[in-house]
Amino acid sequence: MSKSVPLVILLLATLAQGSYGRVRPLRSTAKTSGVAAPASQAASANTQWVLQQSTLTYHVSHPLHQTDGVSHTARGKGICHAGQCEFLIVVPVKSFDSGDSNRDLHMVQVTRGAEFPMVTVRTRLPESTANDVTIHADLEIQFAGQTAHYQQVAFQLTKQGNDSKISGTIPATLADFKIDPPTLLTLPVKNEIPIKVEMTWHQAQ
Amino acid sequence: MNAKASKFVLPATLAYLLVSAVLLRAQTSTSGLSGTVTSLSGAAVSAASVTAKNLNTGQSASTQTDGAGHFSLPQLTTGEYELSVTAPGFSNLIIKTMLVEGVGGTIDLALTPVPQSLPNAPSSSKTEPSLSDLGFTPEQMQSNAKEQALLDKRTHMLKIHQKLGLITAAPLIATVATSIGAGGKHTSNTDRTVHMVLGSVTSDLYFTSAYFAIRAPRIKGTETRGPIRVHKALAWIHGPGMILTPILGALAYQQKNNGEKVHGIAAAHGPVAIVTAGAFGAALLSVSMKF
Repeated sequence: MSKSVPLVILLLATLAQGSYGRVRPLRSTAKTSGVAAPASQAASANTQWVLQQSTLTYHVSHPLHQTDGVSHTARGKGICHAGQCEFLIVVPVKSFDSGDSNRDLHMVQVTRGAEFPMVTVRTRLPESTANDVTIHADLEIQFAGQTAHYQQVAFQLTKQGNDSKISGTIPATLADFKIDPPTLLTLPVKNEIPIKVEMTWHQAQ
Repeated sequence: MNAKASKFVLPATLAYLLVSAVLLRAQTSTSGLSGTVTSLSGAAVSAASVTAKNLNTGQSASTQTDGAGHFSLPQLTTGEYELSVTAPGFSNLIIKTMLVEGVGGTIDLALTPVPQSLPNAPSSSKTEPSLSDLGFTPEQMQSNAKEQALLDKRTHMLKIHQKLGLITAAPLIATVATSIGAGGKHTSNTDRTVHMVLGSVTSDLYFTSAYFAIRAPRIKGTETRGPIRVHKALAWIHGPGMILTPILGALAYQQKNNGEKVHGIAAAHGPVAIVTAGAFGAALLSVSMKF
């Protein structure tokens, strides 16, 4: 007798939408409408900056090699509020290219790039520094699962219309992030890995 | 109760009892649930976590979708279930289903992607930007312990490869150096034996080193670029050379010990060994020197 009972799965959520088979989440409409909200909120926000172009270059010294790893894929935004600008710059660890895939994989390994795939840089600057020629920024860098702070790092600032170009070098070391120096032919690289920064920021509003 | 009403009482009671019996049986019977998880565009979502929680008993069963987005949860007790699906980059999906007795049911589930901020769009925050403002995909930001373990293993094995490769260079040079005394007109058995022993040590170290390079895990999605390509290409020369050289050397050794002049294919031992040693040296230099 029990075999005569329809052996089906009753999809209550699907029934509510009047369809069987492919189930769409009920929240999808709310999510979609949520996309427009930030833009309208942003319209009333203070000045914002968007990272347009960037070149980040780390330099590694080895007794046999001098190597540079370059990334152009950093993304960043800055929000100025009450005279202070908060900046966030993020770059994927894997995006650095030293010209050799084996070396890049070793760098990802020693920096624990699969476990901590992003390098995050945060800084706060007074809005008034936007017109300075040289700015000194306190940086908080999260990398390889560690956080390091760099005080008063100097950057050169050049204004071009709504764009501001900044360049400078972050005096990073492997020890700052508790990274064991990678080795080649059993010889370790130097502890210093200065990171050259070249960025173009665009004033969004 | 009038006669007309009593006419319906018996069938209604029987129907009630029947339904109750079926539902009672459904509480203790088992069934299965399978299906496919896709994105709204219809693409299969792999590694999505699918959990079915029996709302009557509180018991849960979980599985993950395969590469084609398929999942299967066999042996579920029938009853009302809360089915939740989570996958990186997609909004969580929670639905209620009633699993009624019988053969397994199938269900297709479509997930909604989490909206991504465009990297150049203004931030949604008024005070400070957040990671979600920058438009990175969840896959890009997700920690991958499995891949890290693979990278660790790869580096560990390649370090051994590197060290053994360097060590191999020492007996290799010594073997080449002793070849003069082993292959000339006025040679002694001792010279040949020393040359042979050094060659054997070189060969053993070489193949041990090669093992660690060959067995080091490959990282998916990595394209070989730069000097490492030269290093790998040279292995196609010194690899076969390291197999051929000892074979030819053994033939030459035998001929010499018989008082014969090295002849035939054994005469190629020297040239093959030189090419092999040259390729090996070049392979070392390819990762040591910048060019």
